[in-house]
Amino acid sequence: MGALDFLFGWAFLVPLFPALAFVLVGLGGTRMKRFEWGGWVAVALSFAAMVVGVLIGVGEMLSPGTYTDTSTVWLTVPGPVGPFPNGFSLVMGTLVDPVSALMLIVVTVVGFLVMLYSIGYMHHDHGLPRYYAELSLFLTAMIGLVLSDNLLEFFLFWELVGVCSYFLIGFYYEKPSAASAAKEAFLVTRVGDVLFLLGVFIYFATYALAGGGAGWAAAGFKFASGNGPFLGSLVTGASSPTLTVAGLMMLAGAAGKSAQFPLHVWLPDAMEGPTTVSALIHAATMVAAGVYLLAVTSLFLGFTPTDQLAIVAVGGFTTFFAATMAVVQPDIKRVIAYSTISQLGYMVLAVGAGFTMVGMFHLFTHAFFKALLFLAAGSVIHAVGTQDLFKMGGLRKHMRVTYVAFLVGALSLSGIPPFAGFFSKDDVLASVYSQLGAHPAYWPFFLLALGAVFLTGYYIFRAFFLAFHGDRPRDAALPAAHEGPWVMRVPLVVLSALAVLAGLFVFAPPFAHLLAPGFTVGGIAPALQGVALGANVPPVYGTTDLALSAVSVALAGGGVLTAWRLWGNGRVYALPEGSPAAPVRRLLLNRYYMKVGYDWIGQRAVYSVARAADFFEQFVIDGTIRGIEGTFARMSDGLRRIQTGVVSDYAAYVVTGVIGLLLLLLFLGPWIVTALGGG
Amino acid sequence: MVGVRRLEILGGVAVAGLLASLTLVLADLGFAPLAALRTLPAANVDVIPATSALFSFTSLGLVFEGIFLTAALLVALASLSRPSDEKGAAVFFGLLLLATLGMTLAAIAADLIFLLLAVEVVGISTYLLVGYPRRDPRGLEAAMKFYIVGALSTALSFFGASLLFGAYGSTNLVVLSQATGTVGYPALALAGYGLLIAGLGFKLTLVPFHAWAVDVYDGAPTDVTAFLAGGSKKVGLVAFFLLFIGPVSLVVVRPLTCVGGVCPTPFDFAPTLQLALGVVAVVTMTVGNVLALLQREMKRMLAYSSISQAGYMLLGIAVGTAPAIAGATFQVLGHVFMKSGAFLVVAAVAGLGVGPLIDDWRGLGQRRPILATAFALMLLSLAGIPLTVGFLSKFVLFSAAVEAQGYFVWLAVAGVLNSALSVFYYARVLKVMYVDPSPEQVPAPPALPLGGIGYARAAAIAIAVVAIVALGVDPQPVLGGLQSAANHFVLTGP
Repeated sequence: MGALDFLFGWAFLVPLFPALAFVLVGLGGTRMKRFEWGGWVAVALSFAAMVVGVLIGVGEMLSPGTYTDTSTVWLTVPGPVGPFPNGFSLVMGTLVDPVSALMLIVVTVVGFLVMLYSIGYMHHDHGLPRYYAELSLFLTAMIGLVLSDNLLEFFLFWELVGVCSYFLIGFYYEKPSAASAAKEAFLVTRVGDVLFLLGVFIYFATYALAGGGAGWAAAGFKFASGNGPFLGSLVTGASSPTLTVAGLMMLAGAAGKSAQFPLHVWLPDAMEGPTTVSALIHAATMVAAGVYLLAVTSLFLGFTPTDQLAIVAVGGFTTFFAATMAVVQPDIKRVIAYSTISQLGYMVLAVGAGFTMVGMFHLFTHAFFKALLFLAAGSVIHAVGTQDLFKMGGLRKHMRVTYVAFLVGALSLSGIPPFAGFFSKDDVLASVYSQLGAHPAYWPFFLLALGAVFLTGYYIFRAFFLAFHGDRPRDAALPAAHEGPWVMRVPLVVLSALAVLAGLFVFAPPFAHLLAPGFTVGGIAPALQGVALGANVPPVYGTTDLALSAVSVALAGGGVLTAWRLWGNGRVYALPEGSPAAPVRRLLLNRYYMKVGYDWIGQRAVYSVARAADFFEQFVIDGTIRGIEGTFARMSDGLRRIQTGVVSDYAAYVVTGVIGLLLLLLFLGPWIVTALGGG
Repeated sequence: MVGVRRLEILGGVAVAGLLASLTLVLADLGFAPLAALRTLPAANVDVIPATSALFSFTSLGLVFEGIFLTAALLVALASLSRPSDEKGAAVFFGLLLLATLGMTLAAIAADLIFLLLAVEVVGISTYLLVGYPRRDPRGLEAAMKFYIVGALSTALSFFGASLLFGAYGSTNLVVLSQATGTVGYPALALAGYGLLIAGLGFKLTLVPFHAWAVDVYDGAPTDVTAFLAGGSKKVGLVAFFLLFIGPVSLVVVRPLTCVGGVCPTPFDFAPTLQLALGVVAVVTMTVGNVLALLQREMKRMLAYSSISQAGYMLLGIAVGTAPAIAGATFQVLGHVFMKSGAFLVVAAVAGLGVGPLIDDWRGLGQRRPILATAFALMLLSLAGIPLTVGFLSKFVLFSAAVEAQGYFVWLAVAGVLNSALSVFYYARVLKVMYVDPSPEQVPAPPALPLGGIGYARAAAIAIAVVAIVALGVDPQPVLGGLQSAANHFVLTGP
């Protein structure tokens, strides 16, 4: 502590770099006709953000602690107001702690690499100023979200990233499917957002009333004060139904953003956006914001045991549920999208079981290998111009870099040692396993998560073999494949390296202590967390853990081998006629008919409500408003006649006014005041 | 014509002078970067003045000086872009500066006669300002009306002051504010205050003393209207602050001197005055809004909207607590940018050859997108849409009224309903600008830079727009200062 403190004062700078890019490119971008200067401005400024962001992240690892900067007060409401004797203020501050530092590194590094990759990938597209401006705005919002020091600020940025996601999914807005996917993503996540906001209100009310207005709310919705436990200590009986409900609301918000069952339907459709957007927003950062919300909530507010079971259930079920749908997808991006949902499930699972940092660790590694997979897939799409796996084939020969990159990403995703995904996924499984004794209800979800390991190895290598193996493309009409320009290859190489190395961080001293026993974040006492972070010792690679690792590696390897048997060497596996698996395949291809069901609900329930509301709007509300307007218009017409333009009339009004005032003051007023009880 | 015009030299001097004064006022307010320029020691601000003082420096008075100088600065800056070499530039800028002098003197008054004389300086200069383009019969008629009603109001004010002198034996605001319930003739004092409400209400365009305002705002040159609506009318509000927040102890926060264990009670007619002010406030905002609904001319519509805004400001005085004063002051500050800015845009648009009717603005959104956006922003702020200063000032004001409890809650309700009503006529302008198609024949703009607007006027409009948004997004630096000035004012008085 001490020497690096100045670094944390710079935190506010990080979101300002991409914000500057947003302004520059957004305002001046239409003049970037000949040379893509706007893109390079965005790249340069995201590089600056990365440098400062990584510096802050590393600084946090070297001297862990909670560093806040609350000097920017947005609005002060002087007291006494409601339950706050001293009023309260809304702060736009920054907070750096181990969790946000980890997230900051992910967001700025992947953000920069994707921005660089875009120069090559988006080269042929129209509307580039809009693209770079929106992507920069997204980075601003995402960094702002990560560094928020209070729930309200968090929510503002949370909504802003949602809006950017909407814009970017609908980037090809002239395509109807893209426009409708953007709308779907926005609407489905809104369901979660509304519940999340409700949760914020419940927490606010609970803690405000509990502390007599002196605590949380008085200091401005803050996550933490600089000097210790802040929230849970204000509320006794942490298992109260109110807090359970509030925790469930947070889970709902996280499920919307992180595409967890049953709000997962939007993410596969969001693949209508450019692949770069999928890599940055819908794999590495924004969808992880839901997990981040759960992590922050578990650290600063605490979940009740009921909440935890619900989170474990949602996460564990989603891992398996999403993986099954990935198994049959013909679209390379959708395979990876389902895989993202499934992997986010692992993170949710870990946070739910009480291992917040383990969940964050998986988020960290996943961000790199999943961004890598998406960018490699983007490289393929860039080369062959299709996303249909069954048209591709034999790309290995022409795209060496992409081939290796995808292989590294796939191995990491499958959890094969020593790739990054192995370490983090293994930690998740070991964490949940360690809780099984205490919470038998976790058993089914643990087994589902274990089963998903097999499916993961299978579906990603199915896609890998289909795209890269074999002699030639199955569709002869495909253009000859070629590797992208250097701006596309460099991010692939860097991310490949990270997808290998990020897992080893778990052994690096500054990082390792985050996962070490007894570690607490920013002075928050373990006892205040639903299940204490420090009390649950994360995996220490004892006998049990090693056995568990062996099982999971065996499962993943089995998945890979199965994929090889069925799809390797250019084979295309077709279900035999009349196979009992055919209906299952149909069910999976139709995504369990959940979208159909949602549409039915939308049409039947929502439309009838909408029709009723429309009737009410037209006849009751509009009628009332027209009536009011008409009344006032008539009044206005009548009153207008007093504006005669004759100055002696005006003098008469003044005299009348004086007489009226004197009457009011001398006779009427005292009488009214007495009637009102002395004013 | 080559070379610098007379107008530009005179205007440049005026702008520079106003800017220098504004800098000094900001320095005296304790604005840190200008600390070196401070001429008024902090110890001399916000102290209770002697009972013989003619003027005294209060933070709130300095704030109002700053507001007045800002309004004058905006108008002077915009006036540099007059389309033609009109005669009378010297008269215009001279009178503008004289009126501003009167306004700044009124802000620091500590004596009722001093205050009324300062208000009179403003009055006489503005009568002349309205009529300075001597060949325009509409302007002359407006000036005449303004003068006649103004003279009547002055007579009422001084009559009121003499009644107060009769009741208290002094016209010093400190004496009035220290006076306790021992006065022999409460009816005399009440009548005095009533006449002062009427006389000063003329300046602040309170209903029913408002009738001149519409004809004058409409008939005067539009830049002068911007000054009248954004600047000089607020002199009335300053006078109300000085008169009512101190002397009758509308709010009992000032420690009254106790003699021998007997503490004097404040006047029992304070609630009566509060009630009267509240009634006038509600009547003013309602009548202003209702009359604005059916106006077909842009300037008249804005004039009525200006009348209703005066009602909101008076609400702050009726409530009289420190947050309410801060809210009313914030409303005044915002109104400078919203209403002066709006009239400056109207002048710019009139310079482009667009007629006086609202319908003449059809399709401006397509033809002049930037100008139309600026005007739309000002209207949205006047209507009180969030992220503009108009929303925040109303929010602070109304929440102060709700906090004060009692029937003030109903004043806040009336204010909110009125805000809703006002959206009708602001939205109509937006519709005309953006939805209705452009007329087929568009007159050619005059030969000025920026499509006939001129750099200086564009700069003035830009300043107003930036201020509206900046104060609406991040009000705390300014609002915090206003809150502290209001607190001081409630404690130490004029």
